[in-house]
Amino acid sequence: MKTSSDLRFAARTRRHQLSNGLTLLVLENHANPTISLSGTFRAGEFFNPSGKDGLASLTASMLNKGTSRRTKIEIAEELESTGARISFSSNTFTVSVSGQSLSQDLPMLISTLAEELRGPSFPADELDKLKQRVIASIREDLDETRVRAYERMTQVIFPHGHPYHRPSGEHLIREIESIGVDDVRGFYETYYGPGSLIMVIAGDVDDHRVVDLIEKSFGDWKGPEPPLIDLPYTDLQTKPYRESIQMRDKANCDVVIGHASRLRRLNHDYLPAVIANRALGQSTISSRLGLILRDEMGLTYGINSSFSESGIADGPFTIGVTIAPENIDLAIDTTLQIVGDFIREGIREEELADEKSSIAGAFQVGLATNGGMANQISSIELYGLGIDYLDRFPDIVKAVTKEEVDEAIRKYIHPEVVTTIVAGTFE
Amino acid sequence: MLLSPSDSDERKGAPFLYSKILEYEGITEYKLDSNDLKILLCEQRAAPVVAFMVVYRVGSRNEAVGHTGATHLLEHMLFKGTPTYNKRRGTQIAAVLQKHGAVFNADTWLDRTRYFEMLPSDQLELAVHLEADRMRNSFIADEDRQLEMTVVRNEMERGENDPGRILDERIWAAAFREHPYHHPTIGWRTDVEGMPTSRLKEFYDTYYHPNNATAIVVGDFDSAAALELIARHFGPIPPSPQPIPPMYTVEPPQQGEIRFVLRRAGQLGLVEMAWHIPEATHPDSGALAVLDHILSAGVTSRLYQGLVETQLAVDVGAQAYQFTDPGLFTIDLTLSPGIGHADAEKAVGEVIEQLKREPVGEKELQKARNLITTQMIFLRDSPFGVVNVLGESEGVSDWKLYVDLPRMVTAVTAADIQRVVNTYFDDDNRTVGYFIPKEEQS
Repeated sequence: MKTSSDLRFAARTRRHQLSNGLTLLVLENHANPTISLSGTFRAGEFFNPSGKDGLASLTASMLNKGTSRRTKIEIAEELESTGARISFSSNTFTVSVSGQSLSQDLPMLISTLAEELRGPSFPADELDKLKQRVIASIREDLDETRVRAYERMTQVIFPHGHPYHRPSGEHLIREIESIGVDDVRGFYETYYGPGSLIMVIAGDVDDHRVVDLIEKSFGDWKGPEPPLIDLPYTDLQTKPYRESIQMRDKANCDVVIGHASRLRRLNHDYLPAVIANRALGQSTISSRLGLILRDEMGLTYGINSSFSESGIADGPFTIGVTIAPENIDLAIDTTLQIVGDFIREGIREEELADEKSSIAGAFQVGLATNGGMANQISSIELYGLGIDYLDRFPDIVKAVTKEEVDEAIRKYIHPEVVTTIVAGTFE
Repeated sequence: MLLSPSDSDERKGAPFLYSKILEYEGITEYKLDSNDLKILLCEQRAAPVVAFMVVYRVGSRNEAVGHTGATHLLEHMLFKGTPTYNKRRGTQIAAVLQKHGAVFNADTWLDRTRYFEMLPSDQLELAVHLEADRMRNSFIADEDRQLEMTVVRNEMERGENDPGRILDERIWAAAFREHPYHHPTIGWRTDVEGMPTSRLKEFYDTYYHPNNATAIVVGDFDSAAALELIARHFGPIPPSPQPIPPMYTVEPPQQGEIRFVLRRAGQLGLVEMAWHIPEATHPDSGALAVLDHILSAGVTSRLYQGLVETQLAVDVGAQAYQFTDPGLFTIDLTLSPGIGHADAEKAVGEVIEQLKREPVGEKELQKARNLITTQMIFLRDSPFGVVNVLGESEGVSDWKLYVDLPRMVTAVTAADIQRVVNTYFDDDNRTVGYFIPKEEQS
């Protein structure tokens, strides 16, 4: 075992900056002969041109559909025959890259990733197949009570054009149908490059060797200037609103209650707000909402609250509950009453102590795997918090006070102006 | 026989003894002498985290008409507390675990019920104490049962929103006529609603005993200390007063294809097909696991190439369900809009016929074997990954199934694959279900 001072993330993680802007972070962990790769760059849905919703997502999904050197099948054959995996997905602001391989296959993993990121060929037939699959999956979502309720809530609380304002499924299908290879290539050329690329590799690797491999595969990659993201805060709603979405053959209804939160990851009181939410509703089986609606009243299998999209931009504060149609009003009234009590009383000292110890423990548990460590480091780098943030985090949590949490509750949770959407089959 | 170096002066009576049974591939098996609790230890010192699981060899396989869903409802009830851990004392099970940042839950399936925690390694005793306590001391109170029943009913209704899930439930119910794999683990609705608390209590008293369970520890711990903890907390629990009742129902051969149609609201058509296959301990299990990968793992797989690339389906899956008793091999398709169910089913038939006629190539076979063996290595990244597969194997039969899988898979030949496809993928052994979305009523 290493000495305890060696275990600090700041000491174990090496950060390298390539001349083209690419940031590489390497964490050596020789416990198991595997590696985990996690990356992000700014080319997400926020950058969709008008009339082309879904373009960022299609572009990211086209990366593994063939390159100037090899077909999709040839690449997949090589990856699959070693059990390695590379996947791309688009989020609101970024594209995420995720990969894993045995450590012996790291050179292949990195060269394949570079091939896919730098030389995609965007075959037209592959785009057609992809569009068909994406559209089918949107159609399936049209049938999901939770998706429909959440989507409608974002339309009510975020203005049209805001990245968190989700287009309706039907609208999205129409726009995706209009996207061609030229759109995909244009989007790629405008946004894809090393400038905002953060790559984290954790596992059974040698730092110097990783730097060499990355330098060789990505060092001469040139791309456009990384785009800036500057988005105004969304105003809190001024009055409550309620709407129902009638669907067919649904035994269960989904209710989503929410409002614009004005909470971002870099707000100074982000952590107190997270603690407030944990006490109120993060866990169905141990937070206030779940203890009453599930444990005491037996009304629901799941009730949760969250600030899930509070990141670069301020997302919604939401509460979601699944419920039988006859219990909808009881569930909504009880939920709002619990939230009202929470605001009046504030967090209890024992709740605060429990949540702080819970965050510290969960932090330790979450860092138990290469994938967990790579994701944490990637997120720390994205927000510019500095790697030592991971080492300081337990103390930062300890220092949070009841006054800070109570202040965050009053600032970020507003039951008086919630938008409530109910989706399901009811009279 | 080893002595548990327990703090015997602190408690009354002698410390509890355990015996080492076997050490194999980095895992050591012990048993408690006092009650036959099986113990598996696997030290992995990569991170200061430990995973603990107790597996009970009871699942929906042990249920019958009138109390289907008992295993699952009971699992919910076991979060309601004991005299030591309960809400009134401020020691509610979930809250105590949550406070330490544990990832925890419980799950039930056909053959087993599992309770598990992954938590900072200095908290192992909490998990051990809590699980030992709930093995015999759980409240199974009528008022709790009534409330929890409606929670489970909501869980069931959420499942009923999903056409794919209902189709799969119907497939099992059709393919198994006599054996209890016929009914879903969540149970039939009216059984869940009507089951009296006394029946649940009886279920608990029949199956929740140390001699029907395995305790598994994986991660950052010291074996001697963990054994001492387990011996101290589980040792005092007596074995079951009666032998654990065996489940003896056998599903007879199917003797002819079964087909059905499910019609309700939905967006895309679905097809699911299933064939009976043998139990997990059968020598053909390795070949069936490899076949599952050849058919559906990744874009180079046979079904992906035969159905998704050809735009007949937007999604395809195959799964060899290998359980304590003979299970099913299933293939499921989500159809592309405008594609007929029969056309897609025919394409699946062609993929299977080809596997019956021609042996798979060595390269394709090797790829499937590699996928399975590397997945086993990736699992070891996390203590939970290992505890999960050990627990699943224990539920089905024995943990060595998991450890031996890479060896079994490496031994599989192209002739084995061809033979199992010809043996099990027979029309008379097949069940086929179509989900057809109902047209919107005007």
